[in-house]
Order: sequence, then C-alpha cells, then structure tokens
Amino acid sequence: MNSTIPPDAPQAPSPTPAIRVTDLSKRFGRVRAVDGMSFTIPTGSVCGFLGSNGAGKTTTLRLLLGLARPDEGEMELLGRPMPASRTEALERTGTLVEKPSFIEHFTGFENLWWFGSLTAPLTRERVGEALELVGLSDAAHKPFGIYSTGMKQRLGVAGAILHHPSLLLLDEPTNGMDPQGRAQMRDILRDIHTREKTTIFLSSHLLDEVQRLCDYVVIVDHGRTVRQGFVSELLNDGHETWELRLPAEDLSRAIEVLKALPAVLGINPVPRGLEVSLSHGVSHEINQALVGAGIRISALIPREASLEATFLALTDTEPGADKS
Amino acid sequence: MMRRLFVLFSFELKKILARKKAVLFLLALNVVPILASIAAMLAYLKMRSLGLGSLEYSALVEMVQALFTAHMKLFAWISPFFLALVVGDSISGEAGRGHLKTLLLTPVSRAQVVFAKAAAILVFLLIAVALGGLFLQIDLWVAHSMSQSGAIIMDARETGAVLADSTVMARLLTISFMANLAMVGYFVLTALFFETPILMAFVSLIILMTMQTYVMMVPYLAKLDDSYARWLPWCFTRHLSELTELKTIYGVLKQSMTLTSTEIWGPLMGSLGWAAAFFAVALAVFRRRQILS
Repeated sequence: MNSTIPPDAPQAPSPTPAIRVTDLSKRFGRVRAVDGMSFTIPTGSVCGFLGSNGAGKTTTLRLLLGLARPDEGEMELLGRPMPASRTEALERTGTLVEKPSFIEHFTGFENLWWFGSLTAPLTRERVGEALELVGLSDAAHKPFGIYSTGMKQRLGVAGAILHHPSLLLLDEPTNGMDPQGRAQMRDILRDIHTREKTTIFLSSHLLDEVQRLCDYVVIVDHGRTVRQGFVSELLNDGHETWELRLPAEDLSRAIEVLKALPAVLGINPVPRGLEVSLSHGVSHEINQALVGAGIRISALIPREASLEATFLALTDTEPGADKS
Repeated sequence: MMRRLFVLFSFELKKILARKKAVLFLLALNVVPILASIAAMLAYLKMRSLGLGSLEYSALVEMVQALFTAHMKLFAWISPFFLALVVGDSISGEAGRGHLKTLLLTPVSRAQVVFAKAAAILVFLLIAVALGGLFLQIDLWVAHSMSQSGAIIMDARETGAVLADSTVMARLLTISFMANLAMVGYFVLTALFFETPILMAFVSLIILMTMQTYVMMVPYLAKLDDSYARWLPWCFTRHLSELTELKTIYGVLKQSMTLTSTEIWGPLMGSLGWAAAFFAVALAVFRRRQILS
C-alpha cells in the first residue's frame, strides 16, 4: 500500500461514522439500481467506493445527497439523517457528483464565488487559494465553457473543498484526467486529509488509484455491498500467491508434487510456469519439496496482493469489461 | 437563511442578466417606446431649429398616444413568449445542463430555489416594464417642453399629465406585476417537466394560446350551448386579459378607475389566486423532483 495515512488513524474510536447507509434501495422502473445496500464509513478515513459501471455508485451518492429519493432504507451523513437534515449536513460536506456542471459563460472564479457563497460567506482570497491548490490560477478568469475535461474536474474539486468540509464526497474525481493530473489530484486529496482531517469518500473504478490513496474500501456490485473494510485487512486474507518459473517438461511433475502438499490452496498454470496460492508463511516448504523432487525451479516470485484481484474475485465482472 | 436566499436571488438575476440574450429581450420588448422616444427627440430638435407650427405638435402628441397604445397591446401579447424563454432557460435549461444539480448540492432548500428563480425572473420583467415606462416618460418630457416653449395648447390630458404622476405609475406596475406573477407561476410549473427550454416554451405556449382562444370563443359558444362555457373558470388567462385590457389601463391612467374598483379588483385577486396556486403546485412538484442529470 502506498497510502501515506497512518494505519491507526481511522481506528480511533469515533462515536458517529461519517456516512452510514442501511438497507438502501432504489429502483428506476424495473431496474434495481441500488438493492439493499449497507455500509459504514469511519470518520477520518479515506474511503474508496468501488464498483463496475452500473453497479450503483452514482445513484447511491445521489440518494445520499438528497438529489433522488430512496425507495427504502436509511442514510446518515455526519451523524445527521438524510434527507431530513440535508441543509445542516451539506454545510459541512464538499461534493462532486458525476461531471462538474458549472455555468458555462461564467469564469471559473465566478462559478466558485457564486456557488460557494450559497454555503457560507466567502472571501476572494479563499476562492483564489482553492483555485491555486488545484492548479487553475491561470485559468481562473476564463469562462468555464472553454475548460478541458481535466480542468472542469479540478474546478469541481476546488468547489468541493472551498469551505474546509469535514467530509468530501467525490464521484470519480480523476475522470478524464491525464496521469499527471491524477497524481496531482491524489496529492491534493492526501494533503487535505492530513492537514484538515477531512474524511474522504470517493467513488472510482480505477483500482490502483484507490489502492494508492484509500485506507478503507466499500466494494459494490449489482446495487449491493459485497465487501467493506480496511484495505490492509481486505488484502491480508491469510493467503499469499507465488509465481513459479520452471521448464515446461517439469510442469506436470511439479503439479503432482504441489497437489500432495496441504499448504497449497490452488494451482494455476501461467505462461512459463505456475501460479500457486498458499497459506501464509510456508513458501520455503514448497521450495524444498520441489527442489527435493528434482524440479528445476528458475524463479520463485511473490505476487503482491492487489485490490484488483480482490475486486475481480468479489464482483462477477469480466476482466477488461471495466475500462475507465 | 435570509442571507442565503438573497445570495441565491442575486445569483439568479446575474445569470439572467449576464446573457447576451437578456439585452436583446429588453430591447425586443421595448422596441416601440424606444423608437417613439427617438422620433419625439428628432421632432423636438427639428422644432428647435425650424420652429414649426401648432399642427405638427398635436400630430406628435397623437403619434405618442398611438405608439403608447400599440406598445401596451404588443407588450401584453409578446411578453408571454419572452417570458416562456426566460423561465425555460432558468429552470428547464439548468436542469438539462446540470446546473440545477450543482445548485442543489449546496445547502439551499428547494423552496428557496423556486422562489429565488421566480423573484429574479419577475425583477427582470419589471426592468423590462420600467424600461418601456422610462422611454414613455422621455416622450412626455419632450412633449411638455415643446408645449411650454411653443406656448401651444396641447391635448396632453390623456397621456401626458397623468402618466407623469407617480401613483398612477405605481398602479400600472401593480397591474403588470400581478399579471406577470400568475404568468411566471404558470411557466415555472410547466418548466419543471422539461429539460430543454425550447420544448418547454413551445408546449407551455400552445397550452396558453389554446386557453386564450377558448376564452375568446366562449361568448359565441355559450349562445349555442351553455355547457360549452364550463371550462371558463379554469382559464387563468381571462383574468390576465382583463387586467391588461387597454380599457383597464386607460381607466387607471385617467384615474377614473382605481385598483379597488370592482372592474379591476376581481381580475387582480383572480390573478393573485392563480399565482398562489401555480407556485404551491410547482413547489410540491419540485420537492419530489429527482435530479438525475
């Protein structure tokens, strides 16, 4: 994990979770967009909300923010029931839902100024600061309509952080950004998180990005929560995966040897060798057994646990079907 | 709460006025008084240089009167078309472009959004009405100074002296405010069902024109069968046409009719009732509206 967040930060006892969703359901006609979703986001975490396209991420955010009405279920934002206490909750929440939609013929500055002033009184300095933070100072006085997709996205994030919110709800904040832009956005979010202790909830289908940034994840599929928890716990499921490189003629014998070992949980043929999943901490036994049987292993490579593997295992999305 | 409503109102007004369209709307709605003023000024300059006779002065006064009448008629007829476009832009257009979503992600209530938008649209319309009034005032000022300098007896009783009276202007504004309030309420309600301003404008105007045509047909239809008139109470446009009728306007201008006289009190209250009903329904609809784009 590349997260800079101290692992103990989110575990600190917190009486009210930043977000709590219980049995949330929403239908559009005959389509169940959200189907009994439940999750709890601890205050102070950076949470990734993961799901394939159409898994119900954006709909959940719309329901959470009062843009649409749920058919069933309860929601709390910063300990306040939604949508009943919508105004109070939104005063302390920065949001970006789907693509940022600002007034096209207003400049970036004017847009932040007017929309921002609706939350609380603003100073020109603060608007300038937010624009600088997302790297839009030069374009501040150009109309929003001529911004590139990445710039629009950054203005959206600037708008969300304008009032130093306690909670940031971002829907695919790096959508349409180039790799530099993404890295920059991660830095901005990390910085806000460390400096202002902001809880960040961001939906994404970019798994490596979430793995780099988040310490907590909620994985959803077909409108349901399939898994939630701290990334470190989720990836550490007691298994480890190793890739064995060996000559093709030894392959069948190696499989026989491995199958006889109780520590081996699974064997998958891969190009130039095998992928073996094992119980934690027994890799040396495997090595010994194979060498003992005279198999010429050329390499034993640890496969780092990735969120992607977990995600694909948990959701029934075909690899490659989910492109950004 | 009040601060937020005020910011929201200013924001809405700025959005309307910041468009190039807004200036064109104001111009288009006031073509007649603007041209009348230019004509009056030209006549004034000509008189100063050449010193024309009394006949031409009264011709000028007649022209101003005729143009004033034309303006009142035109304004009453075309303002709904412009109004539909302004309301369509402000509500349907914003819903379609996602601005409404951005607005509703700030801690403003939906009721505040409806009222701020309606108030901004009304203020814009009042600017349009007042602009026409301003140019008519210029005409009158010109006519006055001509009658003084030329010592010519002008038949200015009908337009001149009374129009300049501020209480009469206030009454005219009250009538126009009430007529527009009901109209704005109607358009706000229809706009909530559309996400493109043009579509909203067409549909709402078709309904409006159908209603108005029916209102005009009712006296004749009723002669055939009384039951043909049964939908009349549901036609809010009849109050509006009664309010903006030239007879009413002239009555108020000549001070033979006051706002509390029965001829005008009924339509005034009728329009107010319709306006209240439209806004109440619009609010209920908007509260349930799901923002999905």
